[in-house]
Amino acid sequence: MEKVIRSVFYIGPLIFGFGFLTPLIAQIIVAVGWTPPFGLSALATGLIVGGALGVIAQIRGRWV
Amino acid sequence: MTTAETLADADETELIRLEREVARRHLDKFPYLAVVWAFANLAVWLSLWPLVFMGIVPLWLGFLVATLNVSLSYLPSHEAQHDIIAKPGSKLRWLNEAVGHLSLIPLVLPYRLARLTHLDHHKYANHPELDPDFSTHAKSPLHAIWKSILNRQPRANGGLNTYGDTAARHERFDILFEGILYQIAFYGILFALAWSGYAIEAALLWWLPRHIGLTYIQYYLSWAPHHPGDEQGRYRNTRGFRAVLGNIGSMGMQYHIIHHLHPRIPLYRTPKAYWDMKPILEARGCRIDNL
Repeated sequence: MEKVIRSVFYIGPLIFGFGFLTPLIAQIIVAVGWTPPFGLSALATGLIVGGALGVIAQIRGRWV
Repeated sequence: MTTAETLADADETELIRLEREVARRHLDKFPYLAVVWAFANLAVWLSLWPLVFMGIVPLWLGFLVATLNVSLSYLPSHEAQHDIIAKPGSKLRWLNEAVGHLSLIPLVLPYRLARLTHLDHHKYANHPELDPDFSTHAKSPLHAIWKSILNRQPRANGGLNTYGDTAARHERFDILFEGILYQIAFYGILFALAWSGYAIEAALLWWLPRHIGLTYIQYYLSWAPHHPGDEQGRYRNTRGFRAVLGNIGSMGMQYHIIHHLHPRIPLYRTPKAYWDMKPILEARGCRIDNL
């Protein structure tokens, strides 16, 4: 149990990037009426940007 | 009238007697404000959710109010942590515990963890290893804000992370587990809201207000009243100071020295207790910068 919890918390930035930032970015794109490039949908853009931020934070160990 | 000059020759016994005499005048006062504050603050924050979702309150206003709510959520619980509302075994003990638990919900901080770590903070204020709030120490106001943000990064060791370490040191794994459950519930709710189409609302009514509130709380409740925090001991581990935002803007922390000396004096009585006790504090060589 402890191992599972530790593992989940360890990959917290990844989970936050995909679980929260992805829909957040997608919904901001829709709210401001911005059209993503390359025919990407708002959700796909959110997934790329939010996921990338999560991966970077996971590697660096910090968001800022 | 007692002044610092008239106390210059007072011995230890006399200073203790006078200090206790002043403290007694401010102890055992029921903190009505803290109780009303706790429930009103939580009620306003909870009501923001349906009001914003239904479009009755604009999101920008909801964000401002939520930030205020989260920033104000700690202090009522702080009164409960010191049993100021009701002592253990008394008739109103349930109210003390209700305020303690409920007021901290917006901050996502379990009451029992807050109490355990805060009592350790009192016991070991400014001790590098044993004070759970030591990681808020910083060189300047801007550095304090930056440290608060850094302490919340994924692999940081300071800030609320030290609260977990403190619970483990006390072998209170039940409290530690409660802290983990709070985190799982918080992020679970945020994710559920986000994937249901309310990500912006979740970010502006809880996630961002919590970060701003934590920074503000750590700045004014932890850093400012202890800065520079290089001394330990009853009369030197904290200070009186004049805050840029005044006493209300600093949430009463200008008189934090009174709280550390007599933790059961309610927050609303600390200014009066400070002015009554000031000559004694001066005679003791306490830090009362510009106040």
